[in-house]
Amino acid sequence: MTQAEIKLCSLLLQEHFGEIVEKIGVHLIRTGSQPLRVIAHDTGTSLDQVKKALCVLIQHNLVIYQVHKRGVVEYEAQCSRVLRMLRYPRYIYTAKTLYSDTGELIVEELLLNGKMTMSAVVKKVADRLTETMEDGKTMDYAEVSNTFMRLADTHFVQRCPWVPATENSDPGPLPPAPILVISEKDMYLVPKLSLIGKGKRRRSSDEDATGEPKAKRSKHSTDNKEPIPDDGIYWQANLDRFHQHFRDQAIVSAVANRMDQTSSEIVRTMLRMSEITTPSAAPFTQPLSSNEIFRSLPVGYNISKQVLDQYLTLLADDPLEFVGKSGDSGGGMYVINLHKALGSLATATLESVVQERFGSRCARIFRLVLQKKHLEQKQVEDFAMIPAKEAKDMLYKMLSGNFISLQEIPKTPDHAPSRTFYLYTVNILSAARMLLHRCYKSIANLIERRQFETKENKRLLEKSQRVEAIIASMQATGAEEAQLQEIEEMITAPERQQLETLKRNVNKLDASEIQVDETIFLLESYIESTMKR
Amino acid sequence: MADVKVKVQPPDADPVEIENRIIELCHQFPHGITDQVIQNEMPHIEAQQRAVAINRLLSMGQLDLLRSNTGLLYRIKDSQNAGPVSFFLSKMKGSDNQEKLVYQIIEDAGNKGIWSRDIRYKSNLPLTEINKILKNLESKKLIKAVKSVAASKKKVYMLYNLQPDRSVTGGAWYSDQDFESEFVEVLNQQCFKFLQTKAETARESKQNPMIQRNSSFASSHEVWKYICELGISKVELSMEDIETILNTLIYDGKVEMTIIAAKEGTVGSVDGHMKLYRAVNPIIPPTGLVRAPCGLCPVFDDCHEGGEISPSNCIYMTEWLEF
Repeated sequence: MTQAEIKLCSLLLQEHFGEIVEKIGVHLIRTGSQPLRVIAHDTGTSLDQVKKALCVLIQHNLVIYQVHKRGVVEYEAQCSRVLRMLRYPRYIYTAKTLYSDTGELIVEELLLNGKMTMSAVVKKVADRLTETMEDGKTMDYAEVSNTFMRLADTHFVQRCPWVPATENSDPGPLPPAPILVISEKDMYLVPKLSLIGKGKRRRSSDEDATGEPKAKRSKHSTDNKEPIPDDGIYWQANLDRFHQHFRDQAIVSAVANRMDQTSSEIVRTMLRMSEITTPSAAPFTQPLSSNEIFRSLPVGYNISKQVLDQYLTLLADDPLEFVGKSGDSGGGMYVINLHKALGSLATATLESVVQERFGSRCARIFRLVLQKKHLEQKQVEDFAMIPAKEAKDMLYKMLSGNFISLQEIPKTPDHAPSRTFYLYTVNILSAARMLLHRCYKSIANLIERRQFETKENKRLLEKSQRVEAIIASMQATGAEEAQLQEIEEMITAPERQQLETLKRNVNKLDASEIQVDETIFLLESYIESTMKR
Repeated sequence: MADVKVKVQPPDADPVEIENRIIELCHQFPHGITDQVIQNEMPHIEAQQRAVAINRLLSMGQLDLLRSNTGLLYRIKDSQNAGPVSFFLSKMKGSDNQEKLVYQIIEDAGNKGIWSRDIRYKSNLPLTEINKILKNLESKKLIKAVKSVAASKKKVYMLYNLQPDRSVTGGAWYSDQDFESEFVEVLNQQCFKFLQTKAETARESKQNPMIQRNSSFASSHEVWKYICELGISKVELSMEDIETILNTLIYDGKVEMTIIAAKEGTVGSVDGHMKLYRAVNPIIPPTGLVRAPCGLCPVFDDCHEGGEISPSNCIYMTEWLEF
């Protein structure tokens, strides 16, 4: 793990889980897999605390355990999974766009709690939704269950592996750590639960105080009476499926930018049809015939079969090469070239960074070397039509930024510089890795700056919180307008201004983290796809 | 009685006679005659006299000395060749052979010109001599020096009345050894605008997609015609020049190119294919990394918490947050 990744993981763990978990987590990331006692010894924390921290990490799928020979259980942290925590907002937003508020809350609960049983999720989500609804209306459990089942059907949530039920009555000596298994077909199987009930609204503070404790007591009692029907069946969010969705989104928007709306809809249909059939790491989707595509087009897109065929031919002929024609049966078989698409997106990312950082003339030289693979200094000047001095300057700038590399071809066995060819070339994979590393460091910087800003204004924030608490309690006890006004004036106008600025800055930094994460996603997908081939 | 060795003076031992005979022989054999042939013709002339005659003819410029794989050949110089040489001779009366040699070498270089070091190699003359000769020839307005655009310190020499070759002056993009970047930029923008409007009109026509796409293409010939009609260029531009400009647009990522097979004879086709160009949009908007100040930061590598440059006191971030 690179230094930047470790730093970022430590910041994320600290923000989400606190100091102790961060210490244990970072130690595990740095040192690989370790048994329990060694962790406790090396980090200097008590065994109890280490156990609790590991529990938290395992619950959130950040640490896995393995039984090694001689019965030693070793724990290993998964750095890449920790970095996914940056992407939680994007997952939740996707669920919202696809399955509206219910879906959004389900995914949010699952991500925040790591693993949960279905009934627990349904209950919590129903309660939360009821909060937001108007007085008197409640959210029915059945609706939430429905959304949950749809999420499972489209593979956005999956079951966690569990301990297989042993057949023999005598279990024998228990293994030091349970071995969890899950079979492919069980992963998305929703247990048949009849969850009847409605979301319970948390009693608002308008009711008299006596009503509260009674209601609370009754709620507790009802909870204890109902047994949890699906105990042991835990669900987690399926991050790979979300990644597949993001990748599809990126491809569709690229096609929309390069061609027109209709072509992008066709590509979206094709990707949707291959969602379940194609594994996420495949370089090509399954071939789809033009008839099938025509049948699966979304309703409301009435284009004739002929026009669809024309669009498909245009897509297949486009220099982008996202869509390829693999045969002629069924009106023409078409595939989407996923590896090529990810490559083009990664290349476009690189070009965009070069353009913003060094200028559009540098971007011209960069694209030139990218297309022609290897070029001499003189040829670069000629093709790009840029004066020699400037071209040299730009090439050296990009060289020192590691976007371009030099390939030496000696003419003589002694590599005399005057008798060697020096060719400029771009190695996309290594440039992508370099940029990825930079992204990690950038996000770490943004998080640090956010924490710094918050810390700077800590005093002010605490004051405003106190004032709010006072106002809330006064409102509960029925204070007059004048008194509320007085309390509010405790925060002066410039302080209010400062608070506003702080809020704006923190939001901006947050948004920026998510944007950089988009770049990380494209680059990581490209690197993963290239390494798998 | 003692034998009297009589040196018989051959009747035509007169040098002029010898030369005339040689010239007649040359006319008989327009491809050139070897020394052997002359010897056979005039067996009574001694080698030395023969050599003197031939040298005289050479210096007068009436014979050409050529080397073949058998030996040396002497060929009559025909009147056309003799023309400029006689003109040259009239100017060079009295110049030595070295100058002639240098002049010959420069003439052979044609319109690409030749560098002074190459003249030195070919003639084996020392540098000082070469410089003197070159200065002489230049003052007599027989040769001129042209600065090469590739290496600005290098001067190539060529005959006075020749037009320098494109590779030396750089062609349409160079004026007086200076690369005209603004000219290239202007052409760049004009071509792009032309292609962009073509694509816009095609998109607006809303016909079936095939026609839409095909009409958004423009061949290099069309662009060339448009630019010529615009008249922004003082220099005549060829289709290849326009293609180099369109290539720079491709490297800018604004234009894409396809090659289609075209019948010979259609306007603008070269060797049976045509290049078509189309304006395109970039496939992704500016990426997330460059929207944060860290993506563009010049001191990124020096930045770490607790140092001089750190995220907490980053001035770029402060500026960015104030937007």
